[in-house]
Amino acid sequence: MATIEIDGRTFDMDGDGFLINPREWDEEVARLIAKYDGIEEMNKKHWAIVNVIRKNWEEKDMAPMVRVICKETGVKLREIYQLFPLGPARGACRVAGLPKPDGCV
Amino acid sequence: MGNTITDQQITKGLTVFDNIDGKLLTALNSCVHCGLCATSCPVFLATKDEKLTPAHKVDLVASIYKKYCTFSGKLFPGLVSAKAIDDELVEEMVDQLFGACTMCGRCNIHCSIGVDIEYLVRTGRTMLANMDKVPSTLQSTVDSALNTGNNMAIPTEEFVDTLEWLEEDLQDDLEDETAKIPLNEIEKKYLYTLNPREPKFFPLSISAMAKVFHVAKESWTLSTKMYDVTNYAYFSGNPEHAKIIAKRLDDEMEELKAEECVLAECGHGSRSFRWEAPNYLDKKLDYNVLTSVELLAEYLRDGRIKTDPNLIEEVVTLHDPCNLVRGGGVIDEQRYILSKTVKNFVEMTPHGTESFCCGGGGGHLAMSEYNERRMKMGELKAEQIRKTGATIVATPCHNCVDQLIQINHAFKLNVQIKTLAEIVADSIVINSEDKNRIQD
Repeated sequence: MATIEIDGRTFDMDGDGFLINPREWDEEVARLIAKYDGIEEMNKKHWAIVNVIRKNWEEKDMAPMVRVICKETGVKLREIYQLFPLGPARGACRVAGLPKPDGCV
Repeated sequence: MGNTITDQQITKGLTVFDNIDGKLLTALNSCVHCGLCATSCPVFLATKDEKLTPAHKVDLVASIYKKYCTFSGKLFPGLVSAKAIDDELVEEMVDQLFGACTMCGRCNIHCSIGVDIEYLVRTGRTMLANMDKVPSTLQSTVDSALNTGNNMAIPTEEFVDTLEWLEEDLQDDLEDETAKIPLNEIEKKYLYTLNPREPKFFPLSISAMAKVFHVAKESWTLSTKMYDVTNYAYFSGNPEHAKIIAKRLDDEMEELKAEECVLAECGHGSRSFRWEAPNYLDKKLDYNVLTSVELLAEYLRDGRIKTDPNLIEEVVTLHDPCNLVRGGGVIDEQRYILSKTVKNFVEMTPHGTESFCCGGGGGHLAMSEYNERRMKMGELKAEQIRKTGATIVATPCHNCVDQLIQINHAFKLNVQIKTLAEIVADSIVINSEDKNRIQD
């Protein structure tokens, strides 16, 4: 576990920078993590994706399939990879404050 | 330091030395400490930490063997570097065998006397698994597979929804309603398996392979019961768990009466099913198992699909997954595929059996506590990639893809990472005559 400081706020994160306590998450946290990843400004599409992920996690305790993200936000699959260069898991789910998903990610 | 390891745990750990065979005995007793393994190991090269050399890992496992299984080690442990299992030793083993080894096997091919160092690391991991000392971050992915049927806990319904969505897109792309992603069809030539990260987050490779199958007019199916090519118990070292996971695919081959099994682009998945499943299951598999890489090469060689290398003009390099190359013998096929699908191919230095691990092997992507070492190893790979001048890195392993995506981001390489199926699908040419033949 590591404590990461971003713009004066400190968070407990795992070695991959996922929040240890997803309840600490709020929109400012999302902006800070995104900035840390080089996303200077979260646009409407970024937020739409993050909100779908967050909602799915609140309801089902897991990250949504990328199909669900595309369907509910209307963002095309290939564009998701451009919006979050680290991909839906290490990029978008991390910004959404989820714990690190299992598997090859 | 106090000792929390119980006698029962020690007894369980030592069962790896029950029925010890010549292969393991040789590995345990032969290291001459020449040091050649150190400079072949990406962990050592990246960290320059002498405690992290392969020989040191060999010594760790051998010291326990000596302590409990040899006459001199029992009587004079100090003289022969025999060590008793206690908290401190277990902590060191976890750090070294799980946290500082990607099981890439590069040390093996440089060992001056041929010690199978990787096998010893696996034996050490099994010892730790028997003592219930697998890092929880890694165990979590194994548990997910054991409890849900796939390592990302994808519910079947959501899996099916995703495939239907991909099928619609494929039909639109090809303007061909006969293009299908068949599910649970019986008596097909091939049962194809996926890495769960494909349906969950990165499905372009599924569409790519479905396109190739369609153009090749292949008889194939996916299963909605078993759609996980991975076996993380190969990394955790627990043979019982590995057996449960391997058995599912074996059972599904029988259930669907498929002729042959095709494993998606996944290094350890290929190795753990193709080469290890007969050991886990204690039986010979009565069907052929092949990797999709070999199948793609076969389609190109036999003219079942046609490609135009001029369609991909960017400079492309190739990352060789350790478990496919050193641990799988698939070396020339990926190069043959690229020779038929891209215009400008540049090899990394070194490559093939000498290739460096990307840093994500051995279950390292799951173990976030070792992230710093993983990314240091990644830096070696980043420099290799940078020197090629490539803008596309092809690799036939979804685990490597994820690590390469991170490397690309961390070291600002500005490359695209693609699987071979995606490269092939992007370079396929379908003329009207082909289209008629396919739809026939």
